[in-house]
Amino acid sequence: MLLKKFFNVGFADVTVAERVPFGLDDLGRYPLFAPDFLEFLRRAIPPARHRELVFSIAVTASKPANAAR
Amino acid sequence: MAHFSDDQARAIILDAYGRVRAEGGAAVASAFYAPVELEGLPRDAVEMSLGVGHPVRHAALRPGETVLDLGCGAGIDTLLAARAVGPTGRVIGLDLTPEMVARSRRNAQDAGLGTIEVRQGVMEEIPLPDASIDVVVSNGVLNLSTRQSRVLAESFRVLRPGGRISITDLVLEEALPEDVLKSPAALAG
Repeated sequence: MLLKKFFNVGFADVTVAERVPFGLDDLGRYPLFAPDFLEFLRRAIPPARHRELVFSIAVTASKPANAAR
Repeated sequence: MAHFSDDQARAIILDAYGRVRAEGGAAVASAFYAPVELEGLPRDAVEMSLGVGHPVRHAALRPGETVLDLGCGAGIDTLLAARAVGPTGRVIGLDLTPEMVARSRRNAQDAGLGTIEVRQGVMEEIPLPDASIDVVVSNGVLNLSTRQSRVLAESFRVLRPGGRISITDLVLEEALPEDVLKSPAALAG
């Protein structure tokens, strides 16, 4: 879905350079998340997904050299 | 389906990122950056690293290039980009929150990197001319926008023909429970 958005606006050479699972323990490193929110996530999300809640991806792409400025 | 309007999302981001404190030390930075990269960076930039990857590593920056760091936060990627493009390059950091703009300006100054300029603004309307940037980098910020296609279109607009973009972000490959998706705290992350 995200990659399609890159193509739709005109980017070329769209590449997923990295894809890494991101789990609840990873979120715990961030000061953005309060302990009670992390606990809420632990309860709300099935344990099988706790280690792969989302994925961290790196996407690279380029603007074609012949693209209109 | 969007759970927040543009205005609601922006208010949540302003609040969450305006209040965040570097209590966790450098745990996030050490997960993504090599120790040698963190050497010599201002402590605040390292401890306020809130990204989800290392877009500068994938950007293959060259000396003399002009880089835009979308959602620069406290500026860790801005600083690394400035090192990579050297004294003939230029790096522009853009962030929504006044607190992060102030931090990244201070961190650039503390690092002695005069090639960095930090602006306050929204990534859906990047305050830069067309075709003025060689490389756009962004770290864990695109998912904060309710208009991701608009952000990418704006990135495309400001890039010179042949320019590059390197973005790290979190993506869902399987839906989360509805009550999690409706949580402001989840949006902020």
